[in-house]
Amino acid sequence: MTANSTKPHRPAVRLENLDKYYGTFHALRKVNLSVERGERIVVCGPSGSGKSTMIRCINRLEQHNGGKITVLGTELNDDVANIEGIRREVGMVFQHFNLFPHMTVMENCMIAPMIVRKRPRAEAEATARQYLQKVRIPEQAMKFPGQLSGGQQQRVAIARALCMRPQVMLFDEPTSALDPEMISEVLDVMVTLASEGMTMICVTHEMGFARRVADRVIFMDGGEIVEEAPPEEFFTASRNERTRQFLSQVLGH
Amino acid sequence: MVSLLRNQKVRNALLQVLYVGSLAALVLAGIVIARRNLAEQGITSGFDFLYKSTGWDVNFSLLPATANDPYWWFFLIGIINTLFLGSVGLVLATLVGTIVGLARTSSNELAQLLGRTYVDIFRNIPLILQVFFWYAIITHLPTPRAAHEALGMFLTSRGLYVPFPNVGGIAFAAAILAVIAAIALPIWIGRTSRLSQPFGERLGIQLAAAATALTTAAVILALGRLPDLPLLDFPALQGLNLKGGLRIPPEFSALAIAIAIYGGSYIAEIVRGGFKAVGKGQMEAALSLGLSPWRVFTLVRLPLALRAMLPILANQYVWLMKATTMGIAVGFTDFFMIVALTINHSGQTLEAIGILMAGFLAINLSLAAVFNRINKAIALKGNQLRG
Ligand SMILES: Nc1ncnc2c1ncn2[C@@H]1O[C@H](COP(=O)(O)OP(=O)(O)OP(=O)(O)O)[C@@H](O)[C@H]1O
Ligand SMILES: [Mg+2]
Repeated sequence: MTANSTKPHRPAVRLENLDKYYGTFHALRKVNLSVERGERIVVCGPSGSGKSTMIRCINRLEQHNGGKITVLGTELNDDVANIEGIRREVGMVFQHFNLFPHMTVMENCMIAPMIVRKRPRAEAEATARQYLQKVRIPEQAMKFPGQLSGGQQQRVAIARALCMRPQVMLFDEPTSALDPEMISEVLDVMVTLASEGMTMICVTHEMGFARRVADRVIFMDGGEIVEEAPPEEFFTASRNERTRQFLSQVLGH
Repeated sequence: MVSLLRNQKVRNALLQVLYVGSLAALVLAGIVIARRNLAEQGITSGFDFLYKSTGWDVNFSLLPATANDPYWWFFLIGIINTLFLGSVGLVLATLVGTIVGLARTSSNELAQLLGRTYVDIFRNIPLILQVFFWYAIITHLPTPRAAHEALGMFLTSRGLYVPFPNVGGIAFAAAILAVIAAIALPIWIGRTSRLSQPFGERLGIQLAAAATALTTAAVILALGRLPDLPLLDFPALQGLNLKGGLRIPPEFSALAIAIAIYGGSYIAEIVRGGFKAVGKGQMEAALSLGLSPWRVFTLVRLPLALRAMLPILANQYVWLMKATTMGIAVGFTDFFMIVALTINHSGQTLEAIGILMAGFLAINLSLAAVFNRINKAIALKGNQLRG
């Protein structure tokens, strides 16, 4: 690799003046956000503020109506190959896990590397084992999703996304469908991932997690990014009234 | 004693015994009374009549049939005709249902509208009227003399004439089995080795399997061909009528079309329901992994939709199988019509109806058993309330 200085500056994800409408409803209003490689972003905000919409636009699960999305230097457009190419590099973890119930844990993890990345079976299997190990459920490999607890299913979902060896990971409230005792097992995996330098954009209301790993916390309201600050500043010195109100609700005081 | 009666298991067992007991008593009483009445009319009960020749003929048969053949042979012909009509009807209905069902789930509004209109119209017209409608249309086609030929086939008011191989019955049946294998084997290989081979390699194996099965079919046909005749017998005009080939009578075509169109409207709703039952989340997850829309469809959407459809589809198939008895309305010699003719000619009402019921029970129970096996084999494991 040559020196960094010769490379043009390329953030992992960049949103410029992003607009999104659902019919006439304006869900995202000129959102601007730039996420560096290796950066960990936590997105929070009240229900309906557009958090999911924003991160789902990044991998085209929602189509934006205005502005520009650039992922790893490539601008997202309507071209199918372009969209699939970006999805290959961007993993996503959903609130409701969304595992494939008719496939074993192992198959869930192998299917995309084999079909999308055209990896041979043996290699896909080794990769799957490696990541199942990493999310600490190697013993569940031959089970079906319906035979696992919620926390285990979410860890499989993380492993499934990681098996594609993505460069960016999106999390949409990965712990909010879980019973309290399972939340930490999923957060632990996410902390490990963060410590290894993965670029992460996490929509979550787990403020402890935000304090521990986030480089920046983003607060959204009414389809706009209202505040953007490093966690210590965000939690202690927020100047914005809406942010303070929201924080007092989620932190419970 | 009282506590024993309060026991749930004992109660259930007792109710069962009472139920079965009274049913048996009812059937027994019926048989005794019927036997006495029949004896008074001079009709001997029993199944000896099965070996007598019928003295009448059938208008359509895949097996050779003459008026000298015994009743049991005619029953066999009837069952085969019913199975033939049933399988053609079910396959066509499934085809129609899948297309219409997919149209209804598509994002194209015109397709949705067409699909909905189709279902609304054909589901709400009684099947028997649809049978009569198609029968009327087909019997008003041009006469054999005026009919045009296409691909060696003639579509006429007297039926559809298609080329038919000059082979023995057994060889023909064996060849059909081989052709079914040629379709089923690649599918089976595709299922069992979904992840074990790269796509290209698997395609090769599938093609090889299909080719082998088709070659087997060809060899069977060549070996089983009747001497001194061309392999394929083409229908041709001779005088006022068409000779040669196989004549699919208008009765059969009308029934098959009606079952396909009517059954298709029900199956379309089942297909639609199956696809609606698939969570959007699973498809989004598959897309987010970079899988193409086609792969998402074949690997996630279709397999999950099939699982949701299959139990209801099995019921629909059993129902459509029973609907083949409409054959009697237009005079197609299906199993039911053979039984009705038998009753008219031999007077062996109870025996014939017994055979009819046993036959349909066997057909439908086998159908249900096959579907149960498939359902069990592909059932989703574990608790599906989550995720
Ligand atoms: N498919 C859709 N059609 C119409 N409106 C939608 C759709 N999806 C989201 N919305 C609306 O867009 C707004 C933003 O939704 P979004 O799901 O992004 O919110 P969110 O911040 O993720 O909320 P939550 O915390 O409840 O998940 C909401 O007002 C929602 O009602
Ligand atoms: Mg959301």
